[in-house]
Amino acid sequence: MAEQPMIEMKNVTKVYDNGTVGLKNINLKINKGEFVVIVGLSGAGKSTLLRAINRLHDISEGDILIDGESITKAKSKNLRLMRRKIGMIFQSFNLVKRSSVLRNVLAGRLAYYPTWKTTFNLFTDEDKQRTYEALQSVGMAEKVYSRADELSGGQQQRVAIARVLTQRPEIILADEPTASLDPKTSRQVMEDLKMLNEKFDMTVVANLHSIELAKDFGHRVIGVRAGEIVYDGKMEDTPQSVFDNIYKGGKGKEED
Amino acid sequence: MDTTMKKLPPKPVTAKSRAIKWGGWIISIAIIIWSCTGIDFGGIKPTAGQITGAIFNGLFHPDWSYVYNGSGEDLVSQLWQTLCIAFLGTFISAIISVPFAFWAANTRHKKFWVSESGKIVLTFIRSFPEIVLALMFIKAVGPGAPAGALALGLHSVGMLAMLFSEAIESLDDGPAEAITAAGGSKFNVAVFATMPDLMPAIVSNTLYRFDVSVRSASVLGLVGAGGIGYPLIIALNYRQWSRVGIILLGIIVMVVVIDWISGAIRKKLV
Repeated sequence: MAEQPMIEMKNVTKVYDNGTVGLKNINLKINKGEFVVIVGLSGAGKSTLLRAINRLHDISEGDILIDGESITKAKSKNLRLMRRKIGMIFQSFNLVKRSSVLRNVLAGRLAYYPTWKTTFNLFTDEDKQRTYEALQSVGMAEKVYSRADELSGGQQQRVAIARVLTQRPEIILADEPTASLDPKTSRQVMEDLKMLNEKFDMTVVANLHSIELAKDFGHRVIGVRAGEIVYDGKMEDTPQSVFDNIYKGGKGKEED
Repeated sequence: MDTTMKKLPPKPVTAKSRAIKWGGWIISIAIIIWSCTGIDFGGIKPTAGQITGAIFNGLFHPDWSYVYNGSGEDLVSQLWQTLCIAFLGTFISAIISVPFAFWAANTRHKKFWVSESGKIVLTFIRSFPEIVLALMFIKAVGPGAPAGALALGLHSVGMLAMLFSEAIESLDDGPAEAITAAGGSKFNVAVFATMPDLMPAIVSNTLYRFDVSVRSASVLGLVGAGGIGYPLIIALNYRQWSRVGIILLGIIVMVVVIDWISGAIRKKLV
């Protein structure tokens, strides 16, 4: 297929203000509809890599294209519109604890409105309905008027997924979505992500700690160590030794 | 194996540390003596005992008829006015404080000098005592309750906004990040992520400030900015001790009750 990649990173380097190198010359293409898992030790740069894609972290050098358009060069209004296409799920769920589930999920629609409208809570009925439907598809419909801090961790993460679903993005970045959840809930959350990937054809890029989950859900594996991509290959072609290498800090590069 | 422990060695005292210690004492005492010479204390007036006695006598024989007489000049109406000044002043300042707090909060993704300039402005506002502000507002809007409310409102901003901005700084920035990632503007972040989580801090600090303002408002009348302070100074000047007594009792009761109520509400919030 000659279609352009959904995410394209060209020679991306990120150096933090304190001199730490976060990313070293990353080149990466991710196509539409892929389910990519990024594996690597803590501090390897997985999180930085994800946050570079939607510019929660600004990169130092290089360029990142989202659907062919540079997010690196995007200015405020345009940046908001590009971020609208990229949903994000966090390890710590990042719901607004004291707001209702409804309001948290509605936040996914913020970039579809001018700021003043949302400030006065003028969401359309259509969007409220969309919110409710999103909650239904993650099985959280009965909690719609609960406050976010009344929910368990797994429930909060599913509300966060509903928020992303309401946003209707083309890409989902999941930063350790299961790291603070128990194994059973983790699996549920991953199933939800899979649903977004398959049913809504969203491109999913997930950082995962659990090799087991990575193997069960990822189509493609990217291994990261010390800010560099050390492995990139299809899941079914990836032997266990690759994971061992990435996690045990074994020798340098691996070819698939 | 040697099981005997060494004895605790004496704290090392050098000539320098000893000199600093003695120097500190000498300088402190010198400053106290020097400041006493500046006060020009003329001794206790011979009438002091008499007046103290009269005030106590007034406290124990308060002028109950002054409590309420329907004239609008009585104790209850004056206390009510004091409360209104404090409430309005605190309310005004709570609202003004929110944008100032966002300005002065030192959060991530923000230039250092922006929050620093905000903090300097707040310190500047705080440095004006409310009595001075009241005198200025009396010149601007004339004597009476409005001057008092404005003075309290402005003065409280200095402290409230600083407390709010500290609360903003201590918030988890995860929700803010989520809103940004969804394409929200900075204002969206403030409305959707920061404000809801900030609400308990805003309410609790405002209530606390209301406590303080009630006390300040009792004094503002002394310079003519409305409230219970005005009849108090009149009664003092005319030596109506029983009236002074009832006014003091009124202030005490009001402050204690407000303290108690706001304390109870704040305890619920935490």
